[in-house]
Amino acid sequence: MTKPYTLQELLVIAVAKEIHDYENVILGVGLPTTAGALAKALYAPHATLMMESGIIDFEPLLPLNHIADAHSCRGFSYATDLFSAFTMTYRGFVDVCFLGVGQVDRYGNLNTTCIGDYYKPTMRLPGSGGACDFLSYAKRTVLTMLGGNFVEKLDYFTSPGYLEGGNSRDESGLFPKGSGPSMLLSTKGVFRFDPVTKEIYLAQIHPRVKIADVKKDVPWDLKIASDLSETPHPTDEEIDFIRRFAPAMSAGRELAMELTIANLMKQVKG
Amino acid sequence: MAAENSKVMNVREAIAEFVHDGDELVIGNYTVGSCAELVYEVVRQGRRGLTLYSQSGIFDVEVLVGAGCADKLISTYVLRAGGKKGGSAVERAMNAGTLQVEDYTNFQYNARMVAGMHGFSYIQVLEGAMATDIFRKRSFMGENKFRVIKCPYTGKDQLTVPAANPDVCIVHVQRADQYGNAQYWGALGSVAAAALASKKIVVSCEEIVEHDIIQSSPHLTIIPAYRVNAVCEVPWGANPTEVLGYYNIDQFMYGLFMMMDGTADGLKAWMDEWVFGCENRAAYIDHYVQKFGSKILDGIRCKPYYSAPANYGSAFTSRWDKDGRERAMGMTLAEFEQTLKERGKLYD
Repeated sequence: MTKPYTLQELLVIAVAKEIHDYENVILGVGLPTTAGALAKALYAPHATLMMESGIIDFEPLLPLNHIADAHSCRGFSYATDLFSAFTMTYRGFVDVCFLGVGQVDRYGNLNTTCIGDYYKPTMRLPGSGGACDFLSYAKRTVLTMLGGNFVEKLDYFTSPGYLEGGNSRDESGLFPKGSGPSMLLSTKGVFRFDPVTKEIYLAQIHPRVKIADVKKDVPWDLKIASDLSETPHPTDEEIDFIRRFAPAMSAGRELAMELTIANLMKQVKG
Repeated sequence: MAAENSKVMNVREAIAEFVHDGDELVIGNYTVGSCAELVYEVVRQGRRGLTLYSQSGIFDVEVLVGAGCADKLISTYVLRAGGKKGGSAVERAMNAGTLQVEDYTNFQYNARMVAGMHGFSYIQVLEGAMATDIFRKRSFMGENKFRVIKCPYTGKDQLTVPAANPDVCIVHVQRADQYGNAQYWGALGSVAAAALASKKIVVSCEEIVEHDIIQSSPHLTIIPAYRVNAVCEVPWGANPTEVLGYYNIDQFMYGLFMMMDGTADGLKAWMDEWVFGCENRAAYIDHYVQKFGSKILDGIRCKPYYSAPANYGSAFTSRWDKDGRERAMGMTLAEFEQTLKERGKLYD
């Protein structure tokens, strides 16, 4: 009997399995860095982990606070700059990168810039950062959607997925052939893109989630894989790694924040 | 004792002399090691009408926009406090019509600085962005946000951005000498390009070190003395962000800021206490320790993990060997001069 796990742990493992041995990987903050650390420890020991701030080939000892966090490793192999991190992606040296999602449409195009009007936003989101250029040029991109939404039409088109679907991405001549989003992870399942239509479909569903729960978040008739599988129960080894490496990730943001603030208040008063 | 070409100043003098109303001001740091004290001093001196460049518009941009210093922002990434329910100074100012924002990707923004740094008028960026609203939606830069040209070699359409040469860069680094040689290591990001693209550069550092330290580690120097206008020694100058080798991110102070930044009143109260309420960084740290004790700051000081020294030595440092003979010609200085005379090479 394996240990009980948290939803966050399940998500980290699903993302980590997208990293293959010997790949060059650009990680993003949050779930992807923990996934990168897990992959490096258990599945992909020869992967080269990189951050767009120019921290290249590092072994994370702590979860990174942000993309320029050199305090979370003990040195690293190559210190380059942001400009070169993107030109190496443009030249095809990056196999997989990870991006968060604000809004996503059925072809994996992303909005991380604003909700509502761009000039007078209902909600101003972070913006592109590296997203647009990474989704353009990494061979594969894994999208992690923890708080975002599926929409028919993006409020702002920040980063290019499969454009209008079908061959439109390849035909635009703007991107390397075959590049684009390869997977989207949500709190309910794992989605992939149809090789011909490039429309997103549900490929794998997390335990305790029903198909109807997934469909109610999607404003169109979501396609479901005929061989839909269930996300496997994590192994003890996976759970132990995540809990030791990133306990706050295991807890999830809200609980970790609550426990941290309570502890800080206690310390400050004491 | 300061040498005559020393650029050492205090923060107040440096900002007063080099940052002016209406300037294009670039935050040199990218996400990490932000020049917090320089930013706070710009706020304290009440600069107005700035066009602000920040690669990653985190709390630096929030403070400057929240204080009303900037009316234009060029960035790739802005902060949002408190998630969906929260907000940001940038969002509030956009809705109030007091701030115009031009969005770029990380690469495009950095490329503008790289072009500026090298003296080019524009630079090619990655064409994939032409499919997006980053290309289509323009703010105050209008047609000049991007231009598409034909590559003269391949005939393909190329996306370009104009060079940026901001009036002044403010930037925090680990260490510098009194002449302004600024050393920075860790996540290199776009720090060097932002500084070198700018017309003037104000550096703050954790410590001012002897010139000899710089000379034996030039691979760490990202801004050379001849480009720097002012050097300010400001320990804890990036708090609540972190400086590799000096201190980690201050989750407590950062958290405090994030809790307050979600509303205009909250941000104002935070700034009244931590920016306007402290005349300089020393006063800020004093206030911090008085209010919360020294345990938090002590807990984030870095333990050493030194870089292996790189050997910059050579076989010899004089043309004359230990016996006083020139290494190639084998003569002493006296023999050499005698030869010059005999060969008719010397003139009275």
